[in-house]
Amino acid sequence: MKILIIEDEVKTAKFLKKGLSEAGYVIDTASDGLEGLHLAQEIDFDLVILDVMLPVLDGWQVLARLREASRQSLVLMLTARDTVHERVRGFELGTDDYLVKPFAFSELLARVRSLLRRSTPRPQETVRMADLEIDLLRQRATRAGQKLELTSKEFLLLTLLARRPGEVLSRTLIAESVWDMNFDSDTNVVDVNVRRLRSKVDDPFPVKLIHTVRGAGYVFESET
Amino acid sequence: MSLNPKPSPAGALRLRRTLAFRLTAAYSLAGLLMVILATASLYLVLRTELDRSTEMFLADKLHVLGSMLRERPDDEDGLREEIELESAARRYQQFYIRLLDEHGVPIMTTPGMAEQLDLAQLASRTRGRSGRSIAMAGRHGQPFRVTSATVAVGTPPTRSDTVQIAIDVAQEEELLARYRLWFWGILLATSVLFPVVGHRIARHGIRPVEEIAATARRITSTNLRERIAPEGYPSELALLAGTFNEMLERLEESFERISRFTADIAHDLRTPVNNIRGEAEVALARARTGDEYRDVLESSLEEAVRLSELIGDLLFLARAESPLTEWHREKVNIGELLITVRDYYEASAADAGISLVVNDGAEPLSAELDRSLMLRAVSNLVSNAIVHTPPGGTVTLGASNEDAAIQIEVSDTGDGIPTEALPRVFDRFFRVDPSRSQTSGGTGLGLAIVQSILTLHGGSAEIASQLGRGTCVTLRMPAVATR
Repeated sequence: MKILIIEDEVKTAKFLKKGLSEAGYVIDTASDGLEGLHLAQEIDFDLVILDVMLPVLDGWQVLARLREASRQSLVLMLTARDTVHERVRGFELGTDDYLVKPFAFSELLARVRSLLRRSTPRPQETVRMADLEIDLLRQRATRAGQKLELTSKEFLLLTLLARRPGEVLSRTLIAESVWDMNFDSDTNVVDVNVRRLRSKVDDPFPVKLIHTVRGAGYVFESET
Repeated sequence: MSLNPKPSPAGALRLRRTLAFRLTAAYSLAGLLMVILATASLYLVLRTELDRSTEMFLADKLHVLGSMLRERPDDEDGLREEIELESAARRYQQFYIRLLDEHGVPIMTTPGMAEQLDLAQLASRTRGRSGRSIAMAGRHGQPFRVTSATVAVGTPPTRSDTVQIAIDVAQEEELLARYRLWFWGILLATSVLFPVVGHRIARHGIRPVEEIAATARRITSTNLRERIAPEGYPSELALLAGTFNEMLERLEESFERISRFTADIAHDLRTPVNNIRGEAEVALARARTGDEYRDVLESSLEEAVRLSELIGDLLFLARAESPLTEWHREKVNIGELLITVRDYYEASAADAGISLVVNDGAEPLSAELDRSLMLRAVSNLVSNAIVHTPPGGTVTLGASNEDAAIQIEVSDTGDGIPTEALPRVFDRFFRVDPSRSQTSGGTGLGLAIVQSILTLHGGSAEIASQLGRGTCVTLRMPAVATR
């Protein structure tokens, strides 16, 4: 999967490149709009991460010209200004997703993954990790053959984590997916709920599955 | 506001726009109009009266001659007395009479009549006319009023004669001419006098306005203490000055609020930035183990997250205040909304030993609102309530309706808020206990956000509290979108 990052802020471009490379993507970078546009027209990228404020050509112009040239690459816009007007403009010009600075890298990674996954959805009936098994149809989870007594929200939380193994999920994303709190709410609440889930899923067993990534969120994986 | 004449067209235009000019023009026009009306109507009355007295004189003369001819047709002396002598005795308003027989042959004429009047013209112009007199010019240009009548002679009548009467009205015409001259004189004098007096009155009337303007000009953001002293102003302008002073009061308060807000932002930004900087500096001062670096990075990340949250909240507030903000209204079941919030906080409340109860009344309530915004408002309140309620306490979420308004109540059995702090709790960055800012988390913007969300919904947020007994926040909003 090839991703082009068009971003003039050197540090931002650097950490995006590093983070996304380590997540297994092939990255090219451009530091102004024109250079980025040329690159995007020459090479078939799966995704273009496009900053709005760019020298030479701004993000809107790059996006418009890309769509004129009928490039089918997915585009994820990054902006420092979050206004309805900008959002509408972005979607009208054909952006696929939109992220406001400052953003969590885990959030960006999650969006990138979901954008690139969009084309190949895979239906799942059971999720397995180590000795944990989640039956999505019957809404039950077992560990080492033992049934886990979970509340409906705890089941949702566990499913969310387990379906995206190895991916750091931010507290905001968790609050939004499980409790429908789609804003930066009091995220300590997520910690409390994860702690309760752990007491049922991890504490009685030797292998821990739910791990805290300090300052970022939670990750679900079998190795420590 | 100056009325000094300026030669340039732009100056003239500016002059025309001044209030003093307009008032002066209005006074002058109204005054002149009244003077014109008064003098013109007096003139008309005078002219009518003069005409009437001339007519009456002529009618009287005709009547006298008529009755003499009818009753005493042979009294030639009497007729001569009437026709020839009486007129000659007058110096003003001289009149001339001619008596003609059936064939138009003069019987008797006032002496000098032929010198004054063209008799042929007189005959032709008055022939066949009776009643009102007509105007006619004499040989020397003097104005005359002339009339004629056919008179029956003798009883019973034996023949009918014609009487022609002309009266010199030069006196009346002169009087009217003098009157007209006065009329123009008065008009000229008042058209000079009215603007001058009007301008003085206008200037006097608007002087307080100029003073208010001068005060306003002196005011800048650093000099908001200036006020207008409205003593001696007429009540309307005293009201204006009072309103102006109130506006200044509010402006001053807003400015103070903003500068306090800016200082608060700076403080709240400084703390996390300081932590990141200090920790990084210390970490780099010498070689560390991987775990130590990891610890510093993780701590920096936490601080960065705090900064992001603060920025997010500030942006939210700024956006909520913008009149262009669009948001999504939908029909929301209030009970379900409260249950969503309860589900989210249930675990935290249980951890803190607090019971979290939803008490949403008998009938389901719904309102048109932005679900995610209202969710955020209620969440902020519940989060506060849980933090400030000791174990064993209760946090209650309630909803009720009153006419077309919906109320959501979040009450707790917690510490309460001191009365003197209550008016400020919705202010940005206001914390009842400043030292708790770090430990209790949050950005200090929670209640400010609640209030701006309610303002967006056309509603309000109110708080009531008793120290040691608990706090109750009531959110009130119209059930149906009004915008």
